[in-house]
Amino acid sequence: MLHEHHPLVGREIAVREAAPLSIRAVADCARFSLRIDPARIVEASKAFGLSLPERIGDVTVSGDRLAVRLGPDEWYLTAPLAENQAIERDFAKLYATVPHSLVDVGHSEVGIEVEGTAALLALRSGIAFDIEAIPAGTGCRTIFNKAQIVLVREAENRFRIEVWRSFADHVWGILQAVSREIAIDI
Amino acid sequence: MTSYRIPGRGRIDRNKPVRFTFNGASYPGFQGDTLASALLANRVHLVGRSFKYHRPRGILSAGSEEPNALVGTSRGPGRFEPNTRATVLEVFDGLSATSQNHWPSLKWDIGAINDALYMLFSAGFYYKTFMWPKSFWNKVYEPLIRGAAGLGNSPTVPDPDTYASRFAHCDVLVVGAGPAGLAAVLEAGRSGAKIILCDEQAELGGSLLSETDAGIEGLSGWDWLKSAKDELAAMPNVTVLPRTTAIGYYHQNLLGLCQRLTDHLASPLEGAPRERMWKVRARQVVLAQGSIEKPLVFDGNDRPGVMLAGAARSYLNRYGVKVGNRPAVVTSHDSAWLAAFDLAQASAKVAAIVDVRPEVAGHLKQRAAGLGIEVLTGWTVTGTRGRLRVSSVHVNPVSRGGVVGPARTIACDALLMSGGWTPSVHLFSHTKGKLDWNEEGQMFLPGERTEESRCAGAGNGSFGLAAALAEGAAAGAAAAVDAGFKAKAAAYKVDDEVPLTGISCRELPTDRNASKAKAFVDFQNDVTAKDIRLAVREGFKSIEHIKRYTTNGMATDQGKTSNINGLAIASDAVKRPAPAVGLTTFRPPYTPTTFGAFAGYNRGELFEVTRKTPIDAWAEENGAVFEPVSLWRRAWYFPKPGEDMHAAIARECKAVRESLGMFDASTLGKIEIVGPDAAEFLNRMYTNPWSKLGVGRCRYGVLLGEDGFIRDDGVIGRVSSDRFHVTTTTGGAARVLAMMEDYLQTEWPDLKVWLTSTTEQWAVIALQGPNARKLLEPLVDSIDLSEEAFPHMSVGEGRICGAPTRLFRMSFTGERGYEVNVPARYGRAVWEKLYEAGQQFGITPYGTETMHVLRAEKGYIIVGQDTDGTLTPDDAALGWAIGKAKPDFVGKRSLTRPDMLKDDRKQLVGLLTADPNTVLEEGAQIVLDPNQALPMMMVGHVTSSYWSATLGRSIALAVVEGGRAREGETIHVPMPDRTHQARIVGTVFFDPENKRLSA
Repeated sequence: MLHEHHPLVGREIAVREAAPLSIRAVADCARFSLRIDPARIVEASKAFGLSLPERIGDVTVSGDRLAVRLGPDEWYLTAPLAENQAIERDFAKLYATVPHSLVDVGHSEVGIEVEGTAALLALRSGIAFDIEAIPAGTGCRTIFNKAQIVLVREAENRFRIEVWRSFADHVWGILQAVSREIAIDI
Repeated sequence: MTSYRIPGRGRIDRNKPVRFTFNGASYPGFQGDTLASALLANRVHLVGRSFKYHRPRGILSAGSEEPNALVGTSRGPGRFEPNTRATVLEVFDGLSATSQNHWPSLKWDIGAINDALYMLFSAGFYYKTFMWPKSFWNKVYEPLIRGAAGLGNSPTVPDPDTYASRFAHCDVLVVGAGPAGLAAVLEAGRSGAKIILCDEQAELGGSLLSETDAGIEGLSGWDWLKSAKDELAAMPNVTVLPRTTAIGYYHQNLLGLCQRLTDHLASPLEGAPRERMWKVRARQVVLAQGSIEKPLVFDGNDRPGVMLAGAARSYLNRYGVKVGNRPAVVTSHDSAWLAAFDLAQASAKVAAIVDVRPEVAGHLKQRAAGLGIEVLTGWTVTGTRGRLRVSSVHVNPVSRGGVVGPARTIACDALLMSGGWTPSVHLFSHTKGKLDWNEEGQMFLPGERTEESRCAGAGNGSFGLAAALAEGAAAGAAAAVDAGFKAKAAAYKVDDEVPLTGISCRELPTDRNASKAKAFVDFQNDVTAKDIRLAVREGFKSIEHIKRYTTNGMATDQGKTSNINGLAIASDAVKRPAPAVGLTTFRPPYTPTTFGAFAGYNRGELFEVTRKTPIDAWAEENGAVFEPVSLWRRAWYFPKPGEDMHAAIARECKAVRESLGMFDASTLGKIEIVGPDAAEFLNRMYTNPWSKLGVGRCRYGVLLGEDGFIRDDGVIGRVSSDRFHVTTTTGGAARVLAMMEDYLQTEWPDLKVWLTSTTEQWAVIALQGPNARKLLEPLVDSIDLSEEAFPHMSVGEGRICGAPTRLFRMSFTGERGYEVNVPARYGRAVWEKLYEAGQQFGITPYGTETMHVLRAEKGYIIVGQDTDGTLTPDDAALGWAIGKAKPDFVGKRSLTRPDMLKDDRKQLVGLLTADPNTVLEEGAQIVLDPNQALPMMMVGHVTSSYWSATLGRSIALAVVEGGRAREGETIHVPMPDRTHQARIVGTVFFDPENKRLSA
């Protein structure tokens, strides 16, 4: 098999002082952008095997599959890598009766996990809206210091950033600068 | 020399002595000192020279309003900063500070000759003095003025410090931690609301730190302050930010706060940022900025040792420093009396209190008498003496009729002045909140608010401790309630507060020639009262004009101590009330702010996003030279050892034409367009017809704006009947997607089609050259690459080297070409396999420059280089790409406007220079007759120009008025060396029959 090159592979930032913080590049997964008439999400949910969230910003999870509603007709789907082709097949079947757009964006994005009691502080360095106010289990598309990202609050103190691969270095560089401040508590 | 430090007094930490240097001399100080307080403790009053007259200057204030005491500081290599205010700079062990604006030394300054020549430097002197002879302006006057202008020296090396930024959201933001701000934050904090409190000083407390006579709730001011700080520290919902200046108040309650993190530390931790810019969005804002004391305007009011009375009180009570042993006081306000009393009690011999008011409250006179201080009421000040520090003051009685009597000289070693207090309405004013003129207090006060903000305390004109606490508590509680919390303002009992009143003055009356008085209004810009009166005499009536003509209020202190005095004098001179003369606009930042704080993390490598392709690292390892293309960095060319750019490009071009080249085209924008109406959507967006494009086929598309001008182009492949793979220019990717989404959502919501950016999903490797197919054939599965099955402009899906691929057959070089799209993470591995397998054909990696040359040889345009937003498809020789039978597409209607059909529109043509070795400059203008008179009529310009190794000569593309009809004519291109001749030809220089595409 061909070697795969990830922009951030193996990189990790760990702060163990007063406010623990761990930032790491996460393993790849299958990712899709699903655009579909919101009236047809029942069928789409069946195809994906997961109830797609009905409110913009909501996240639903079932097993290893996850869906975030990013806009009126846009969902961001992730799943284990091995299920990539099966998911494409299932949606291809749906297309005959319910036209939609399922586009593989698995290689576009890089996943970064930001976890710890200082996670919010780290993200506040680059995100303008009030991320403290968004509940765990929600997500959105936003800007992190000039880079467009999808942000999912997986748990109270755990966030996942999905960012286009050519922006990943920039996001990582900012997080690195911020983690230094957190490490020396300034 | 004995210290002026008073044992046991002040809030400095006597257990933490520090040493610092000023102009090379070493001095002791304590942690908690500012440079100003530490210098005064060491009896240093002379700290700088003024901007225009180079007059000796001292310390005027004890706060961020300081106009005089500006110093240079150095914290090691690259860490020099000019114009730091000594009154806010905290001393630390090893601090090195220097005075500014003098040569050869602070005490003997050649530039002080300007002071004797002051008659030449009156208001507007630049405009008057340097008019003749006119030819002198460029060569003599301007360089001279520029050399003399500016305060302090600019840093010469890049700033090695780092800077941070942070967004924050809160229910209530309180600006200012004086009594009003503290009362506000206590109420709001107790309500449970999320609070941020910021104060520009190192220590919370504001005026409580300096004014120690009154008590609060049975405690001394300092004890109450401690209990308030303890209570705040115990509130997890309150963030307290000392050393943090609210620099600006922007729309919808967004405030910028600049926090100084390390400037006060002798040895900051490695990697610690110097400052952090907070961008705070607050539901409610309480502004408790306090007030700034006004100087009095009289001859010699700028001499070192002359300072604001409130500042002297701060130095005494907060820093334990007596500013003089024999201070005199001159005032129009009661507050300076308290400064005199405090100093007298600290064993200073107060020479006199001179009050310009004929009548002063009896209790003040009684206290003065009790302390043995001479009091002169109804007197004026007409001058001071002392070369580098004040040594005496001239005071004169003023009769009821205004007649100034004979002067009396009072010896003194410091002169404390107070002209009353000006509320700081800066931040309120940033919101465009209306300011109301208060005639009684002669001040502007916050009026109707435009944001969710409240002003409290002295900043709202509510002077005095009891008023500040009451108004602060009320504002804090009201803000919390408006933010959705329950709060009720507490009442505070204040003991022993002395009620204070005062009057406002213009320049003080004098018995001498007023036109010779150096009575300063703006200390930093050396503007005197007579300058303002002169400006009015010369016809300036509005304060905005007077400000610019005299430069009053235009220095780095933005007129904090001068604007209101300047207005009073101007209003008197114009003979109109102050509000009619106007108030200059307050603009952010409130105090000077470093560029670093604004830049935050975005400097060096993080200045801007640098997008890199999956193949970028290979290019770097293989010696590529890069160029920026929008946010991307792209391989420009691949020089071999010893090759210059010219040789590298020639070699790369030759390889593509003769055998095989490979090119990283990953940056091309890509959009996946899916849905039953995908072809119809493309019909409406692009000029070309799409319905009949077969599955597995590609077409070159042109995208126009509504105006009919070319916006973008690219090859579009039909992957299946309902799925198109669209490519855009590198720089146009985001714009094109946004434009499409806009049309889809607003014009054609009925279409069943959806758009997704796939720019980063695919790495794209262009293989171009006669041997391209031979390389690919053995490596590609499930796509028949034969000429019949996969002709020029085809697309197919299959596998290459084990990776899935969307393979395009297309050419941007004129050679047989393929573009291998593979999922991005495979990009580098596939590139390397192709490179390896291509060795048999001498495969040659090439960069953007070779790509540009090869496409120009074929007359293929680059949108944005050969077009400039004013070219129609026909202008760009792309008329063939218009689907004439289509009912509509974006821009179609504009293409039939009469202007768009004129014969003399600028059209894209080819140019061949008469001398084949001349490569024209891109952007060079074109004229038809080089002998016409200047200015010549320009008929177009060169858009692309290269050396073509293939043709062994230069080639160029250009836009020329009516160019196509001029084919064969000679035009002229004036360039810096000489005017070059060129012949207009077609745009295709090489293989016009396109035989090589399938060769």
